[in-house]
Amino acid sequence: MKPTITHLLDDATSGGVTRVIDFMQSSEALNAKVDQNLQMVPARGRWPQFEGDMIISHLSVNWRNLPALMALRAMHPNATLVHVEHSYTQRFTALNVPNKDRFYTLLRTAYALFDQVVCVSRSQGSWMATRALVDSTKLRIIRSAVDLTDFAKLPPVSGTPRCFGLLGRLHQQKGFDLAIAAFRQLSDPNLRLKIFGIGEDQKLLRRMAKGDSRISFEGFSANPSQAMQSIDALLVPSRWEAYGLVAQEALAAGRPVLVAPVDGLTDQVQDGATQMTGIGVSALASDLERIANGTEKPAIAKQSAFAMNSKNRFETDWLRLFDEAFAMADAAA
Amino acid sequence: MPLATIVVPAFNVSATIAETLDSLQSQTLKDIEIVIIDDGSTDDTRDVVAPYLADKRIRYVSQANRGLAGARNRGIEEARSDIIGFCDADDLWHPDKMRRHVAHFDANPRLGLSYSGSLMIDNESNSLGISQTPRLKGVNAAHIMKRNPVGNGSAAVMRRAALMDIASHPHGTNRAYYFDETFRQSEDIECWLRFALITDWKIEGIRGNLTHYRVALDGLSANTERQLASWERVITKLRPLNPAFFEAHEPAARAYQLRYLARRAVSGSDGGQALSYLRAANQSSLEPLRSEPLKTVTTYLAAYALKYLKLNPLTLRNRATTS
Repeated sequence: MKPTITHLLDDATSGGVTRVIDFMQSSEALNAKVDQNLQMVPARGRWPQFEGDMIISHLSVNWRNLPALMALRAMHPNATLVHVEHSYTQRFTALNVPNKDRFYTLLRTAYALFDQVVCVSRSQGSWMATRALVDSTKLRIIRSAVDLTDFAKLPPVSGTPRCFGLLGRLHQQKGFDLAIAAFRQLSDPNLRLKIFGIGEDQKLLRRMAKGDSRISFEGFSANPSQAMQSIDALLVPSRWEAYGLVAQEALAAGRPVLVAPVDGLTDQVQDGATQMTGIGVSALASDLERIANGTEKPAIAKQSAFAMNSKNRFETDWLRLFDEAFAMADAAA
Repeated sequence: MPLATIVVPAFNVSATIAETLDSLQSQTLKDIEIVIIDDGSTDDTRDVVAPYLADKRIRYVSQANRGLAGARNRGIEEARSDIIGFCDADDLWHPDKMRRHVAHFDANPRLGLSYSGSLMIDNESNSLGISQTPRLKGVNAAHIMKRNPVGNGSAAVMRRAALMDIASHPHGTNRAYYFDETFRQSEDIECWLRFALITDWKIEGIRGNLTHYRVALDGLSANTERQLASWERVITKLRPLNPAFFEAHEPAARAYQLRYLARRAVSGSDGGQALSYLRAANQSSLEPLRSEPLKTVTTYLAAYALKYLKLNPLTLRNRATTS
């Protein structure tokens, strides 16, 4: 009988994380080895006992749910507990956490409850290791992935990029304000900036873009590959970002990608994205200028190979985690 | 690998660098390296340094002029240790400074930037009786922006891993920028504030005035307008990193900065200029007045006395700067 795995997520789970879990659940390679199911849990209140030889938490860790996480450990003494850290990073901490010692105490306490803690990018992994947030034997890095097939099928951009794109939640995390301010410094009337997404900063961003008809708000896109097709280059000026899947999608789509050198986005640079050369609006504006001049080329030669590699790497890493965990459980039994 | 590196940016400092190197050579922590970055000096800095190179711990690197930030960046590149301190070639270090900073780092794995207070000295290296005794604990980005507890560029000692987290790679160069080389002033505060904004490393001071910081009183008061402009450039550059933070703290920080410039203007005997800075400070925020009323009021009195009573500026200067 195949071991069973239960994915836990809460209502705070973002769309991106949901898509990663979808990708896992639809993976033939993973399903050949394990049965997977999905369980929503409330952010407050008691959680029931879950089925499964392995329970994978995609939950956000905070002081409020720490007791529930402790109960999770206590109620499943024989299951392998895995936590995937989809949100916290160095920059997140720097920008959002006034009392960092207290926060790291929370993370150490929470992570200690799990048998494995999965980082979604190499840079997140090195942050956790250097801050000693988790025992090194428990720490592993599995770079996130989603289905890139549709992106890899898109025809690559020909000619110099005219249309920049921002894709994501309209929230200060994503730094779209910075991109709008920088874009407005470019004088070329033929350039465009398309912004896909919704969120609480909608009003603020619209106000910033007001009066520049080259900038358009395209709303939420149910079909991300279609959105990607409509742009020539992707900007990811995030203030913090655990991994930045959207950059992977753009790379698979053969688009040049410009990322802030932040957290998991530095992983994207190793995959072919270009990093912003400085801090601030004018630095970004000159980066945009260079892309518009066509001096920054997309670095992906073969889109389909890129998509395939990403999938293979993701599946191999998870299968290895499954193998090791279940071999260890068998040995213990 | 030595335990710590001291980077000494040097530009036309033949008059002072010998004394600086003496103070670094007599550090009680012996396992150090001292990297002198001669930033395109046109005087005989090289000759003054030459005899010191007999000490194998001292290295001399010469480069075309890149400015103070560029010299420090080169020093960081050259450094071999995990702990890197900076001492400008006209300042002096207390013999125990590096030993105590290294102990501070050893005891605090999350510490990225360690600093200490400073004693001001004049051109003859005599104490001016003025010191910078900053807040040492619980320092956050707001403290840095308002009061700059890290202080001058010869007070800070940093962990290499933390420096790596603030490196940027400007276009057209394969060099890393830690300090921003486009600044010719305010490069210190720009670096400390950026460090506080974008990293999770702890910033903390240790007790004692372990840096002797040389000030030319007339030099400090010169060109307050340019100082203000470069400070504003720092704010403009860093604001996008965290707009909400700047919305909350920028007015008060500007008020502190303007009050500081008012005091510099008083030192330069320009009462009118001082008053206009003080007015601008109050318009920006009353926080400096609330939290340090005595300092604000004495600055006002000094400015008024200068402007309307034409009092002896020298006496005033002493009173104003020691309050």
